[in-house]
Amino acid sequence: MSGKEQVFIRRRIEFVAGLLALGVLLLAVRVVDLQWLQSDRLSDMAEKQRYREFTTQAPRGPILDHKGRVLAESVEIPSIAAIADEVPTASIASLAHELGISSRKLHKKLHNRKGFVWLARQISPAKAEKVMALAIPGVRMESEWRRYQPLGPVTGHLLGFVGIDGKGLEGIERRWNAQLSGEPGIRQVRRDARGHSLPDGVWLREPTPGKGFKLTLDASIQSIAYAALADGVREQQAKGGSVVVMRPSDGAVLAMANWPGYNPNNFGDFHPGEWRNRAITDVFEPGSTMKPFTIAAALQSGRWQPDSRVFCENGAMRVADYTIHDDHEAGWLDLTGILVHSSNIGAAKLAMDVGSNDMYDMLERVGFGSRSGSGLSGESPGIVLSPERWGPVETANIAFGQGIAVTPLQLAAAFSVFANKGIYTTPRLFADQAGKHKRVMTAAIANQVLTMLEFATSEDGTGKYAVPEGYRIAGKTGTAQKPGVHGSYSKSKYMAVFAGVAPVNDPQLVIVVVVDEPQKSIYGGQVAAPVFRHIAESVLPYLGVSARIEDQTAWRNMTIATEVPVLDGTSLAGMSMREVRRYAAERGLRLHVHGSGWVQRYKPAAALSLQQGDALEVWLND
Amino acid sequence: MIAPRAWMFLLLAVAILAGNQVWLSHLRYELSLGSQKLAAEQEAIKLETSTLRLEIASLTRPDRLREYARSTLGMAPPRPMQVLHP
Repeated sequence: MSGKEQVFIRRRIEFVAGLLALGVLLLAVRVVDLQWLQSDRLSDMAEKQRYREFTTQAPRGPILDHKGRVLAESVEIPSIAAIADEVPTASIASLAHELGISSRKLHKKLHNRKGFVWLARQISPAKAEKVMALAIPGVRMESEWRRYQPLGPVTGHLLGFVGIDGKGLEGIERRWNAQLSGEPGIRQVRRDARGHSLPDGVWLREPTPGKGFKLTLDASIQSIAYAALADGVREQQAKGGSVVVMRPSDGAVLAMANWPGYNPNNFGDFHPGEWRNRAITDVFEPGSTMKPFTIAAALQSGRWQPDSRVFCENGAMRVADYTIHDDHEAGWLDLTGILVHSSNIGAAKLAMDVGSNDMYDMLERVGFGSRSGSGLSGESPGIVLSPERWGPVETANIAFGQGIAVTPLQLAAAFSVFANKGIYTTPRLFADQAGKHKRVMTAAIANQVLTMLEFATSEDGTGKYAVPEGYRIAGKTGTAQKPGVHGSYSKSKYMAVFAGVAPVNDPQLVIVVVVDEPQKSIYGGQVAAPVFRHIAESVLPYLGVSARIEDQTAWRNMTIATEVPVLDGTSLAGMSMREVRRYAAERGLRLHVHGSGWVQRYKPAAALSLQQGDALEVWLND
Repeated sequence: MIAPRAWMFLLLAVAILAGNQVWLSHLRYELSLGSQKLAAEQEAIKLETSTLRLEIASLTRPDRLREYARSTLGMAPPRPMQVLHP
C-alpha cells in the first residue's frame, strides 16, 4: 500500500471518528438538556400522564333520634350537566323532552354561556338513566348529595333544611352545619398504560365524614305532639301553636313541634316566615302560667305559707292608676285557691308583698330572660325587665304573666323545676350534651307548688280538661291577650296556654302547649289543656307509665279499641285469638286459650248464651 | 477462580429471583385491582345502606303507621286504662 492510500484511509477513519465524537457530543448536550434544563417540565408532564387525582365525597352526617331512628340523612342522587358548546343543536329537542322542560328554555340555557352548565339537579335515577341513554355529546351525569327528612313537617322546624349545594340553611342543619358537613378527600394514584390504578396511591387530603348527631328527641313522641297540636289548632280554628315536651329529670327535649308545619324536603314551596321554629324564636306573654312562680317567690320569702290567705277584693283592685280584674270574683283565698281560681289579684298582692327584686330573682333563676343554651340558633332570651324598671303596676302585672315574655321552651324548663324538686335543668337537645343543674328553690317549696298545681287540674280547677283518665296531673292554664299594634292589648287576639307535669307521683314529662289566636274559645283550660291531655295520655303508656286504675272492673265495660263487631251471631269457630279475646272481654267471660291461630272448637258449645263471669275455653289451631 | 458450576447456580438464582419479582409485581397489581373493586363495592354498599335506612324511616313514620293501623287494621289508640303492662 502506498503512502498516499494510507493517508486516505487514516483521514477516513479520523472523519468517521469525528462524526462519532460529534454524535456523542450531541447526545451529551441532549442529555444535559433533557435531564437538567428541561427536567422539571418533563417530570411534571410525565407525572400528569401517570398520576390522577380522585375526589372522595364525604357525606353530611345523619341526624338521629334518641333511639337511633333516622331524622335526616343524605343520599347520593344524579344530576344532569352539560358542556354547553359541545351539545349539538339537533339533540336539544329530545334532551328537553327527557328532562321535562321546554326546548326553548333548554336552548336558552345552553346558548347563553359556554362550558359547564347544570341542566337538571337532583333528579330521580330512572330519569337520569333515560337522559344518558340518549348518548348526547357534551351531556354528562354528576352525583350530588341530597338531604331527606323522612318525618317531613313533623321535624321540619327543629331540623331546618339544607340548600341544593349542601349547606344548612335553617334549624339544626344551619346551626351545626360545620360539624354536619364532611370534607371531601383527595387521593392521588399512579395509573398503568390501561388506566388502572397502581397500588401506591397516597391521600393528599384525607376525607372527613360529616359528624352525625343524636338528639334527645323521640320520633314517636314528636309525631304524637305534632298530631295533637294540629288537631287542637284545627278544632279551635286557631292561627297556629307550639308544643314542647321535656323530661324534667335531665332536661331532655323529647318533642318540639309547631303548627302549621312546612315540609323541609320541599322548603322552597313555603314562605320563609313558615320556616321559623316558633317554640324558641317567638315570645308570648305567659299569662296565668306565671302564677306558680309568684307563689314560689312568696313561699321562698318565708312570710307566706301554703295556707296563708289573701283577700282578693271581690274581683277588682286598683294599683296606681290601673285596675286589675279577676275572671271569677273571689274574696279570701289561700295560695292554693289563688292557683285553682287563677286569681290575678291574689297573685298581684303576693308579688307586691315579695317585692320586685325577689320576684325578679325567682324569674331569673328559673330561666326567664336568658337563652336556655339548648344549642339551637335563633333562640330568643324572652323579655324580662330589670327590677329597677318595675313599679307597682309592673310588679302586679308580671305576677300574673303580663309585661313579661317567654318562649315555650323557657316555660317548659321553668316548670321542670317543680317536677324536679326545685332543681333547674337546662333543656338539652343533643344526646351527648351535658345538662346543667342548679337548685333554685327548696324541695319543700317545689313540692308545695306542685301539690297546688295538682289542685288546679281538679274538677274545680281551670285545668280539669288536661287530665287523662288514670293519671295525676299538675298544671296551670294561661290566657293572655296579645299586644296590639299601638302598644295596648288586643281585645280579640289571645294566646291560650297550658303548662303541666305528668304524672305528679313520678314526674316523667313536662308539657307546654301554646295555641295562638284560638277562635272558638280563648281560655287555656278549654283550648290548650285538651291538647296536653291528648299528648300525655298517648305518651305516658309509651314511656311505660301505667294509668292508676281505681276501678278494676271498669275496663271490662269500656269500648274496645276496635269497633267492628267480631261475632256473626252463630259460632265462635274461625275467630282469631284477638277476636275471641275481644269477645270474651266485651262479655266479661273468663277465657282460657289453648294453642294459636284460629278457633277450631270451644267449650261450652253454647258459648253465645254465657253470662258475665262464666268460663269459656277455646282451642285454636293454625 | 469461580467454577463454571457456581456461575450456573448464580445465574439460576438470579433468574429465579427475577421471576419472583415479576410474579410479585403482578400479584401486587392484581391485589390492588381487587382492593379498588372492593373499596368501590364498600362505597356502593354504604350508599345503599343510607338509602335503605332512609326508606325504613319513611316506611315506619309514626303518622304513617298510625294511619295504616286505623284505616287498614281497624285499630284505635287504647284508652289509658286499657294499657295494663305498657
